[in-house]
Amino acid sequence: MTINKELDGTTLTVAVAGRLDTNTAPELEEELMNSLSDVKVLVLDFEGLEYISSAGLRILLSAHKIMSKQDGMKVRNVNQAIQDILDITGFTDILTIE
Amino acid sequence: MQEKGIKNKTYHLRSSMAFNVIGAIVLLMILFGLISCLIGAVSFTNSLKKEYSTTTYHMADTAALLVNGDHLDDYLAGKENAEYEITKGRLDVFCETIHVSLVYVIQVDQSDYGRFVSIFNSVDNTVDDSSYTPWELGHKRDTTNDEYRRKYKELYEQKAEYETVYRIKTTDGQHPHITTMVPVKNSAGDVVAILCMQRPIRELRNARKPYMIVIAVSTVLLAVIGSLLAGAFLRKQFVNPVQRISNEATRFSQENTKGEELGNLSRIKEISNLAKSIDTMENDMTSYVENLTSVTAEKERIGTELGLARSIQENSLQSVFPAFPDRTDFDIYALMDPAREVGGDFYHFRLIDDDHLALIIGDVSGKGIPAALVMMVTNILTSDRMRMGKTPAETLTFVNKDICERNRASMFVTEWVGVLELSTGKLIASNAGHEYPVLQRADGTFELIKDKHGLVIGGLEDTVYTEYELQMTPGTKLFVYTDGVPEATDAEDKMFGTDRMLDALNAHPEASPEQVLKNMQQAVNDFVKDAEQFDDLTMLCVEYKGK
Repeated sequence: MTINKELDGTTLTVAVAGRLDTNTAPELEEELMNSLSDVKVLVLDFEGLEYISSAGLRILLSAHKIMSKQDGMKVRNVNQAIQDILDITGFTDILTIE
Repeated sequence: MQEKGIKNKTYHLRSSMAFNVIGAIVLLMILFGLISCLIGAVSFTNSLKKEYSTTTYHMADTAALLVNGDHLDDYLAGKENAEYEITKGRLDVFCETIHVSLVYVIQVDQSDYGRFVSIFNSVDNTVDDSSYTPWELGHKRDTTNDEYRRKYKELYEQKAEYETVYRIKTTDGQHPHITTMVPVKNSAGDVVAILCMQRPIRELRNARKPYMIVIAVSTVLLAVIGSLLAGAFLRKQFVNPVQRISNEATRFSQENTKGEELGNLSRIKEISNLAKSIDTMENDMTSYVENLTSVTAEKERIGTELGLARSIQENSLQSVFPAFPDRTDFDIYALMDPAREVGGDFYHFRLIDDDHLALIIGDVSGKGIPAALVMMVTNILTSDRMRMGKTPAETLTFVNKDICERNRASMFVTEWVGVLELSTGKLIASNAGHEYPVLQRADGTFELIKDKHGLVIGGLEDTVYTEYELQMTPGTKLFVYTDGVPEATDAEDKMFGTDRMLDALNAHPEASPEQVLKNMQQAVNDFVKDAEQFDDLTMLCVEYKGK
């Protein structure tokens, strides 16, 4: 898994690529939790994301909870496999997917 | 038996180590003694011989002065008889006085020194217990051997002041003696004859024997004392410490308990280090074994508890089939196959009343004990709520709220809940992030129902779930499952997927619920082959038969 962060004013864009599973999730969690304090909008770019497990979904949910107190969180460039997972687990209902 | 074994081994060690080293020292000492004996004997003999021959030379030289070298030929020719007799008498007296066996004067044939003529010959047989007969004047003889011949020549050619022949080891029964030869010269200074003096050398042997005995005895004594000292030193410095180390190592290998510390038992660095290493090893080994024992005991305890937990979990899921033997309007079958001892998957079914069958299937994220704990709570919460007659959506909304309140570890649960009205075949269901259910159509084909999904349980506290309605026609089946089925993975990381799942179902549309699940299990196993089962595998199938 690779993580690329880009801060533009108060908008933080995080591009996640590879497999987001039990082994790699803690890394993303640490990256996000350390950089969300001054961020108003969080954009998650899933263009290179191949797989997301429940551990990954848990991070999405945590980030969603934090950002809902700010100006929100967006998920972008979701491929079909990830979309299926988000659909099945009901995350499509709560996330803003562009 | 064991005791005896140790003792034997110990004895062997002691004898071999001490014996080998001391034996080597004794051998060396003896060898050294032999060599010094030999060197001593040779140098003793040489200096004695030299001393002897020098003394004899002076005696012979004195005797030669008595002989008038100018008249030798006259004597042989029978002239100057009076002078000859006087000289002979003097030589006889000389021979007796200085205790030599023979004094004789010979004239050697100078062509090849192979013959000589005797001129004077004095014998004293008392000196050396000999039995020589004096040669007459003019007695002719061949030279005894080449050594004499060579030495005669040296003297005649005036290349040596005197010559000595040693007969120390005699073979002809003579006693050891030396013969010293000096030239007899005429008034012109030419060598005209040789005077030989034979002197016994008994003293050589007599003096050499005690000398050799002293050397031999002192060598043996030195060897014995040296060996005893070396033995005592070795025993104290090497054998005893090594012995103790060896005993301790043997004891430890048999008893595996910590013994008395060997400590600093030798001043020799290597042995001291060895002893310290043994101490360290014993400490490490015993603490390691203790550690291992407690870890093993702990592991066994956990294993036992896991076994108990597994049976508790299994008992919380219905496993007696047929579950409703007196009902002909439906048939149901379910199974859960955890990847580890305990799993996070669950299912539940019960008749709420005579006409309503509640169906529950769920999957807790993660595996093992944490998942199993959440699974138990969720299963009980859900089934209790259903028994109270709540609808699937009401049930999920309540369970989610309850789980979110207690869910500090933020684990997710996906859950599908349905209620089948047995009189009509109407199925009301609600889905909290769970896999799509599969329904068999009236024509027998199984298809995936892309139902409306709510968020997984444990996500957001105030999620409100909705429900939907499906119609089952008599003779059709409903198949629900956890992600262990479509996400079963083979050795090449390929997933089983919903398409293969539907194919497996459609291969046997007429199968009973039990058979449907067995077929699916078989299909998954065939696909996964030798790859390790990664996730729990749970399925539930109900056939609606109608009235």
